[in-house]
Amino acid sequence: MYEEAGEVFDIFRGVFPISFLLFVPAVLIIVSPDPVEAAHEFSVYRMQQFDLQGTSYGCRNAIVNMEARSLGASMLTRRCVVTRLADLTVDKFKDLVDQSAGAVLVLLPDDLSNVPRENLEEFIELEHDLMDQDVNTPVYFAVEDNTLTKIYAAIQDGSNTDKAATATEALLHAASANGFQMVTTATQATPIKDAQITSIQGKLSGLGIEEHLPTVAIVAHYDTFGIAPHLSYGADSNGSGMVALLELARLFSKLYDNPKTHPKFNLLFLLSGGGKFNYQGTKRWIEDNLDHTDGSLLSEVSFVLCLDSVGSGDGLYLHVSKPPKEGSALHSFLEELKTVLDAQFPVVNFTMVHKKINLAEDLLAWEHERFSIRRLPAATLSHFPTHRALERQSITDQKFQVDPGVLTRNIRGLAEALARHIYNLTAKGHDGSMEIFQDGLNLHPKSIEAWLNSVTAQPRAAQLIGKDHTLLSTMEQAMNGYLKDVRRLTFKPDKRDPEFVFYSAMQTTMNAYNVKPAVFDLFLAVGIAVYLGLVYVAIINFHFLYNFVTSINTIKVKVKHQ
Amino acid sequence: MTLFHFGNCVALAYVPYFLTYKFSGLSEYSAFWKCVQAGGAYLATQLCKMLILATFFPASETGGGNLDVIGEFLKTSVDFGDLIGIQLIMSSIPGKGEIKIMTAAMGWATAELVMTRFIPMWVGARGVEFDWKYIQMSLESNINLVQHIAAAVLVWLWSRHDFNRSLLPVVGTLLGLSVYRPLIVEILIHAVGLGSWTLLLAKALFTGAVGLVTLQLYVGLVHSNPSNHYD
Repeated sequence: MYEEAGEVFDIFRGVFPISFLLFVPAVLIIVSPDPVEAAHEFSVYRMQQFDLQGTSYGCRNAIVNMEARSLGASMLTRRCVVTRLADLTVDKFKDLVDQSAGAVLVLLPDDLSNVPRENLEEFIELEHDLMDQDVNTPVYFAVEDNTLTKIYAAIQDGSNTDKAATATEALLHAASANGFQMVTTATQATPIKDAQITSIQGKLSGLGIEEHLPTVAIVAHYDTFGIAPHLSYGADSNGSGMVALLELARLFSKLYDNPKTHPKFNLLFLLSGGGKFNYQGTKRWIEDNLDHTDGSLLSEVSFVLCLDSVGSGDGLYLHVSKPPKEGSALHSFLEELKTVLDAQFPVVNFTMVHKKINLAEDLLAWEHERFSIRRLPAATLSHFPTHRALERQSITDQKFQVDPGVLTRNIRGLAEALARHIYNLTAKGHDGSMEIFQDGLNLHPKSIEAWLNSVTAQPRAAQLIGKDHTLLSTMEQAMNGYLKDVRRLTFKPDKRDPEFVFYSAMQTTMNAYNVKPAVFDLFLAVGIAVYLGLVYVAIINFHFLYNFVTSINTIKVKVKHQ
Repeated sequence: MTLFHFGNCVALAYVPYFLTYKFSGLSEYSAFWKCVQAGGAYLATQLCKMLILATFFPASETGGGNLDVIGEFLKTSVDFGDLIGIQLIMSSIPGKGEIKIMTAAMGWATAELVMTRFIPMWVGARGVEFDWKYIQMSLESNINLVQHIAAAVLVWLWSRHDFNRSLLPVVGTLLGLSVYRPLIVEILIHAVGLGSWTLLLAKALFTGAVGLVTLQLYVGLVHSNPSNHYD
């Protein structure tokens, strides 16, 4: 046969185009890289990675191309550990790192609102602890769907191999098990070059000469933080603060538009960016206003009120760095807020919390500390009694964490108190039960809820809000509708000594390839050899079948002839 | 998966062809070149079929889950071209009937195997992902070999003028069955929802049955008339 084959190829020899046609595709096929055909493709979100003020935080690695194992498996070295959120604890994570696991994929439940409270709390702590670790292992998060559930079950099943009692058992299991190779399409994470933080400010000018009137600034940061930027929806912190700020802007713009109620008071509004990165946007805003321009409204501000997490709970805490002196504007506002809440919402438990700024710490506790450092009277209003509340920096902070009713109530209290302060109503003898914001001036609970839905519909981590992000234009538009002199402030980090560095590859695609272990191929080869042997025997002995059919035929013919 | 897996699949697909060629007596008749010619005829036939399909059955816009039985039936009818092709090959090969049949069927089946199976296997079986479908594909190609041999026998019987006329409808039915096999399979998939392994088994049983009946007919012709050995 081989000589015959040679004969055939002799014909082609010398005929250039034909041999060329045969040769080139063959070479192309052979040199082509391993084809990739995805079995299951899903989006994965990488754990935070950023540098802040020269310190690196989060996960330093992005590339995954390794076999999957479940958390309980004994061999984890250079394997991708796939685990459910509920099964992972900090100790287990440390254990994984000690065993030099190659990567970790955490499956998150589809809907976090169904997860029991205590599990959520555990996870929030885990998030915090993970951020404290020096993580060189790629850590990814994925939302579990049906296929992932199946894959997870198969991985759990396959991982039991390592625990098989006998060698034969292990071998058999290895041959029958389904393995999965997890591959990310991401390249190594690199710093994002044109990272920037944008804040938006606007104001309402009082009646009279602007510079001579007292000013109150209201500030809320809009960005969010969680273990993975793409999963940080930040409903309570600080979607609620954003919504409250926008609603306050709307309410007061009505008062300012009416000549009869136009107060002799300026209001400054700032939606600040980079709030979760040590309030970088706020810092830049203060610097711009105090150091560069003279006579800005902020330098003469009577107090700054920061809003952070005002969307749930029955507590309201006014955090200050220094208790306000009696007779100061902040003190009077505090009293007004107390009066209003006592009279109209006795259920609210309102307290002032005093915490000194700890300059030794890397990160500031509350946004108002940025102002307090610069000796501007400031306070933060929050339903969290302490800045250590980890819920403010969690991916579990989703829409279900905010009660629109509570948010509306808090906004109302805040608006009433602010109005009483601006119009000095207490001195005019009006008691706390007087309601200013009613009828035409009433709050719009529906619009509050709509805003809340809109801002929590997408992750708003600082990394994701580029200068063209729709969120910025939406907020700018909304503020333009109520406020004057709306401006964007863009903060780009210093080239040589950047205040913050963001990294790429926070969201990527992972493929789960169904693979079989090498032993399986051996088994298969043996099986095929046996099959081919049977085929050989069948072909060799074909004449038996032939003769058998022939004999039946002759019998028939004989029968016919008889 | 790996090159080893690819090797496994190729061995499973090709070795039975080689064994058939080697042990059916074809190699003793130096039929290799003839087989290659048959393969060339396969290519030419496929080209003609494609031209016809492209001319008369433009790709329909409605891609849905529903099976368009009549359209598929007409399309599958073009596969009668395959039978004509086989007939043409056999008429161009001098020699005994069984050599004619085997040469035409082997060449035809091998060409089909190379053209339709090799590249998917090279691309798929070497990929990271493991899938049983490449093993199934290889097994199916073995079934196809039997199928093609049976079809060639049937075409040969059809063209014989000394063949028992009363049996012609049987031959015609069998030919029809082998041509419309893909359509029948398609309908089975839709109607019964056969899994890939049961489908393979069904194909094997179907082909085995057709093959046995064909063998019966062939033996009937050859042995009722010994002079047929030389043609």
